[in-house]
Amino acid sequence: MHPFNYHKPSTLAEAVALHQGAEDPAYLSGGHTLLPTMTQRLAAPSDLIDLEGLTELIGIAVDNGTLSIGAFTRHAEVAASTEVQSALPALAELAEGIGDAQVRNRGTIGGSLANSDPAADYPAAVLALNAVIHTDRRQIPADGYFRGLFETALEADEVITRVDFAIPSRAAYEKFPNPASRYATVGVMVADFNGTVRVGVTGAGPCACRADAFEAALSARFDPAALDDAELPAIDFNSDLHASAEYRVHLVRVMAQRATARLASL
Amino acid sequence: MEQSGEHLIPVERATVWRSLNDPVVLARCISGCQSMEQLADDRFAATVKARVGPVRATFEVALTLTDIHPPESYVLQVEVKGKAAGFGKGLAEVALAEAEDGTTLLRYSVAGRVGGKLAQIGARLIDSAARKMADDFFSALHEALDPAADRQQSANPS
Repeated sequence: MHPFNYHKPSTLAEAVALHQGAEDPAYLSGGHTLLPTMTQRLAAPSDLIDLEGLTELIGIAVDNGTLSIGAFTRHAEVAASTEVQSALPALAELAEGIGDAQVRNRGTIGGSLANSDPAADYPAAVLALNAVIHTDRRQIPADGYFRGLFETALEADEVITRVDFAIPSRAAYEKFPNPASRYATVGVMVADFNGTVRVGVTGAGPCACRADAFEAALSARFDPAALDDAELPAIDFNSDLHASAEYRVHLVRVMAQRATARLASL
Repeated sequence: MEQSGEHLIPVERATVWRSLNDPVVLARCISGCQSMEQLADDRFAATVKARVGPVRATFEVALTLTDIHPPESYVLQVEVKGKAAGFGKGLAEVALAEAEDGTTLLRYSVAGRVGGKLAQIGARLIDSAARKMADDFFSALHEALDPAADRQQSANPS
C-alpha cells in the first residue's frame, strides 16, 4: 500500500472538515471495498478518514412506523437485532445474506449505500421500503438517491448519518447470489404497504431501480402470476462473466415472483 | 468485452469528423482526461484518471487511428497502461452517416480485453464501466458540438 494519513475523528463536523482539507481523501467505513482496492493499488487516497469513532452513527430504533438504522451499524448488527427482526424481518434476512461473516462483521449500511455497488443488497431495500437517507446536511429520498454505476446523489464530502425505512405491512427479499461472493446476481425486494406495492431491484443494471410495471401489477393483484407478462424495468442490463444480460432479465422476474409467492402463502 | 451503440448528433458530418480528430475536443470529452497530446496525424497520447466506484487509477492511453476514410469512418486502436493497475487493449470502429436535416448518425462498436489486477478485481464490473465511459464520451461530444443539446436527453443511457 502507498503511504497515507489516517484520521479517526470523533465528531461528524471534524470528519467533514478533514475531508475538505485533504488533497485526495476517502471516508473509511467497513473498508471491505476500499481496502482491497487500495492493496491492489487501484486507489491511493492521500487521507483515510475513519468514521468508526462517530458513535452518533450507530444504533437501531423503531418509532411510529419507521425503522431507523444508524449509518455505521454493521450488517451483522442489523441481522441480529430483535427490533429489526420483529419490525422488518425481511431486512434482517437481507442483512444476514450479505457476503460472508467477515463482511457482515465489518461492513456498514452507510458504507454500502455510499459505495452503491450495482450488486449490493441494501439498495433494493432502500427503494422498496421508500427509505429516506439522512446525511450530515440533508435528507435524500430513496427515489432520488441512486444515479448510476457507483453514482449517488451524495456530494464528495457528504456523510450518511442514518437510513429511515418505512415499515410495510409485509415484505420479502429474494436474491440469486453469486456462489463465491454472495453478491446479488439479481436481488428483488417486494414490499406491500396496505395494498400499494413497491419493488426494488438490485444486481440487474448499473444501479438499483424500481420495477414500476411489477408494482402496478402486484398492487392490482398480489399473485406471482400477475408478473408473468409485466414489463421489466427499462434499464441497461448488466452482462459479465457471471451472468449474461438475458439471464439477468430472466432472474428479475423469477426473484420477484418468488418474493411474492412467499408473502402470498403466509 | 464488446459493445456498440449509436448517437444522433445534430450537426453536420464534416464537423463531427473534425471533432473526432481534434485532440482538444477529445480531451474535453474523455472523463478524467488530464492531458492529450497529438504525436502525429494519426497518433495521440493521453493521461486519464479513471474513477469508477472505489477505483481511482491513472492510465497512460495510446490512441492510433487506422483505416481512415474521411469523413466517414476510422478505426481507433486503444492501448491502456496503468502502472500497477493492469492494462487493456481495444479496437473501436467509428462510423458517421449523414442523417436527416444536416444531422449525423454516429455508430460505434468496441471490442477489448483487460489484464492484470484490473481484470482480477474488476472482472464483474468491466463491461458496465466501459459502457458508462463510452456513454459519457459520446454524451460529452454531443454537448460539445451542440451546447443547446438537452442535457437530460444526453444524460440518459442509450
